[in-house]
Formats: sequence, structure tokens, C-alpha cells
Amino acid sequence: MLLIDKLSYQSKLRYVNASEKLVYAVLTLVLCVLSRSLRVAVLVFAVNGILTVGKGGIPLSRYIKLLMIPLAFLAAGTAAIVVNVSKDPLDAFAFRIGNWYVTGSTAGIHQAVTLCATALSAVTCLYFLSLNTVMTDILGALKKLRLPYLLIELMLLIYRFIFVLFKTASAITMSQQARLGNRDFRTRVRSFGAMGTALFILALKRSNALYDAMESRCYDGKIRVLSRAHPAKAGEIAAIVLFELILFWIS
Amino acid sequence: MKREKGWMIEAQNVSYTYEGNNEKALDGLDLKIRHGAKVAFMGGNGSGKSTFFLCLNGIRKPDTGRICINGKAIEYTRRGLLDVRGRVGIVFQEPDDQLFSASVYEEISFGILNLGADEETVRREVESVIEELEITPFQDRPAHALSGGQKKQVAIADILVMHPEVMILDEPAAALDPKHTRKVQEIVDHLTEKGITVLMSTHDIDYAYSWADEIVLMHRGKVLLQGTPFEVCSNRSALETASLEAPAVLKMHERLKEKGLIPEEAAPPKNVDELLQSVSGENI
Repeated sequence: MLLIDKLSYQSKLRYVNASEKLVYAVLTLVLCVLSRSLRVAVLVFAVNGILTVGKGGIPLSRYIKLLMIPLAFLAAGTAAIVVNVSKDPLDAFAFRIGNWYVTGSTAGIHQAVTLCATALSAVTCLYFLSLNTVMTDILGALKKLRLPYLLIELMLLIYRFIFVLFKTASAITMSQQARLGNRDFRTRVRSFGAMGTALFILALKRSNALYDAMESRCYDGKIRVLSRAHPAKAGEIAAIVLFELILFWIS
Repeated sequence: MKREKGWMIEAQNVSYTYEGNNEKALDGLDLKIRHGAKVAFMGGNGSGKSTFFLCLNGIRKPDTGRICINGKAIEYTRRGLLDVRGRVGIVFQEPDDQLFSASVYEEISFGILNLGADEETVRREVESVIEELEITPFQDRPAHALSGGQKKQVAIADILVMHPEVMILDEPAAALDPKHTRKVQEIVDHLTEKGITVLMSTHDIDYAYSWADEIVLMHRGKVLLQGTPFEVCSNRSALETASLEAPAVLKMHERLKEKGLIPEEAAPPKNVDELLQSVSGENI
């Protein structure tokens, strides 16, 4: 998560209008999942790869590593579709074990491949969005989509303070380690508990301080902020529409 | 900025006790501060500096006494608080307690939007303060990727964009390296040039002595001593009560005077250069 955040600030597509990217990612994702078509999946996978690595400048090795994470889950999940245990052999392959067969059908393999490809392409849509759009811009786009203010404000604060929390937690952990707080399992568990308590108290203190600081800047219960505008470009919108139409057409 | 007659800040008999505490954080504090002054607040932790600062823009409401900003007593109504918070800004000691947005631009736009400025004005002001405080090189980085000094610059921009008449800096140099401390000091000088009244709490007596027009020595929620840096720093007993030492340049000046190396009538030096001048008796 921290890696994705870091990469998103370096992406060359960072300053492309966030709403455009959000709409593109979500629409493509929905089409990809609904169509369940191998052709669509392959096309989406390729285009997102080109956009993220080629245009966005996210290092290929990082991108592949990130894709490996969902792939592991997919492999485990689809194995169940491909491999059956039955008394009669199916048409694709069969291994006999006693009176039983470990076997699979061509249709099953086809279904598994399609499912795998669809899921992976769907993930690339989300990666495209999160690797090329910084969180604050996504929030801006969600605001334009009329998501409730409360949600957006919560996300804004959580996103900012999750890093402060991490920093504090790692500082506490380090100081515990410096005092042999992790010498065996017992002390490790106890240290972790103590860290949790300390973090909770610190978070309360921090939130009071933050509230004071915001109040001193005339906070009245609603967080009003302006972001730098990155206007949508007609060419980009046209390209997105065209691409979605192609997907719709070939599915 | 307009310089009206009277005092910029006038506090009379201000007391404040935090809930659940027996001891008063502020205990009958009286204080007056001129328009456009540079005032250093000194005193140990828990002497009431931060509490007093929070009272100055209405975050804390004194239990007794009253505070006037530019001749007008703070009114604790929605409108009154909006007014005083627009005129008195606080830069908090810990930037991580102040910066609430990961985006520098959003962060700076917050205060001025709350003052009710329209979008066009906000954009213009935010852009200009980003340039003014040299935030441009890191303006597109997220708050969690900024260094302590950079966060401090943004924290000051947060307030400066609201065009306050009084700017309070709570230990602005805490946890900064010398380079960024100097940077913050430059910004503070810039604020004074703009006519803003600057109140700063600090533990660095050498800096307070050379920078301030006035030093306020606080002790146990009261003003122990207020005066020019020389008046305050030459009052040994007051310094001792506040657990402070006289500035190095002043100590040196006295020793040299004792040894007869500088004339008895030499004016107390503001800084090392002035001290050197009186040693050699000529301009260097």
C-alpha cells in the first residue's frame, strides 16, 4: 500500500484529470467483469499495461510484482474449477488413482482461463487508477461524483494520519527493540500490546491537538479545501469513449 | 498594515484552568503588546505560554479576565470567534498536529476558504503564498513525504494566507536543523516587514535577545517580567526564577567590561558584531 502510494506520486499520468481516470477505470472494470469474454480481458490487460508502464512510467518489475499478488489467489481459486475427482474420466485429462480419476474437462479449463484473465484484467483497472492517481485527487473526483461529505472528510483525514500513525508505531517498536522488547515470544506479545495502548492514547492526544489547530483556522464542522485544477482534455475523453465502445462491441 | 493607536493585544487578569487540573495554567496574567512588535515569550514548559496563545484566538476561553485584540474584546460567539481567528493566527509547534490534508495546496486553501473568500481569490492567494514562502519545489509532494522544515514552511503558509494581523509561532525552531531554523527565522523577519505583529515562544535566549523588540518572561501562568531584551536579560534574579541563562553575548560583554577591555560607557551589544565593535572601538 505504501509502495503504491509512493509510485502514484511519481506517475507521469498523475496530472491527468482524476475524474477521467476514475471513470475510465470503473467503466472498464465493469465491462470486463460483465462480459466474461477472453478477448475483452486480454485487450484490457494489454491496454492497462501500456498505460501504466508505458505512459505512466511505473517500472515494469514493480508492476509485475504487484500483479503477482492477486495471481497467487487466482491460481488457488481456479485450480478447484479445473481439477475434479470423479469415477468417470473427463475429456481433457485424467489420472487414475485406484477406482477414481483426478480429471478435468476442456470446458472447465476454458472457463478457468477466462475467469483468471477477467479477474486479472479487472485488477489491472484498479492498479491503473491507484498507481496513476494520488489519493487526494481521487477524493476530489469522488466529491464531484457527490459522494457524502462525511465519507470524503473521513477518507481525507485517515489518509493523512495513517502515515503519522505508521511513523509513531514504528518509532515505538524501534524503542522497544532497543530495550530487548522482542527477545522472545512472550515479550514480543507484551510489547505489541503496550504499543497498541500507547498508540491509542497518542492518537487521542493528537486528535485534540488537530481539532485545536483546525479550529484556530475557523473550522466550523465542514472541511473546505480547494485542489489545483487539472482540466479534462477533449482528446482523452474521446479516447476513453472510443475504447469503451470497442470493448462493448467485441464482448 | 494600518497602525492604530492603542495596543494590538491587551490581556487583563486572565486566568485559565484545564479541566481536572488543580493548578491554574494561567493565573491572573496581564500583558500589553504594541502594534507590529516582535515579542519573544520565554519560560519553562508548563509556564502557560501555549495556553495563553490558545486564548489569544479564542480556542480557550479564559475563566476570568478579558483579552482585547486591536482594542476589541474577544466575543465568544460564532461571528466573534470567526473575526478574531481571522486576525490572530497560530502556527502550532508540531506540524503533524496542524497539517490535516496530504496535499499542500488543499492544506493552505483551508483557512482562507473558511474566512469566506471566493474560489478565484483563494487560488490567487494560495499560489502567491506558495511562491512567497518558497514552497514551490515541494508543493506537489504529499505531506508525509515532506521534511520537518518543509512541513513548518507549509504550516506558516497555512496562516499567512489568511493575512492575520498577529501571528503566533509556538516554538517554530523545535526539532529543526540549523539550516531550516535559519530559513524559519528569515520567514519570521519577512512577516515583520509586512507589518504583522509576531509573538514567538522559544527556548533559545540568544536568538530571542538579538531578534525581539520585547521579551516576555513567563512563570507559573503569570508574566514574571516584560521589557526590552536588555532589561529582561540583565535581570539575573528573574532569569534564575525562569531557569534561564543570560545570552552569551551579554555575558561576554560584562566580562570584557570587568577586565577593562571595553569602556564602561559602551552600550550593551545586540549581537557578536556589535560586541566586537566596542572591543576594538572602531567599525570592523
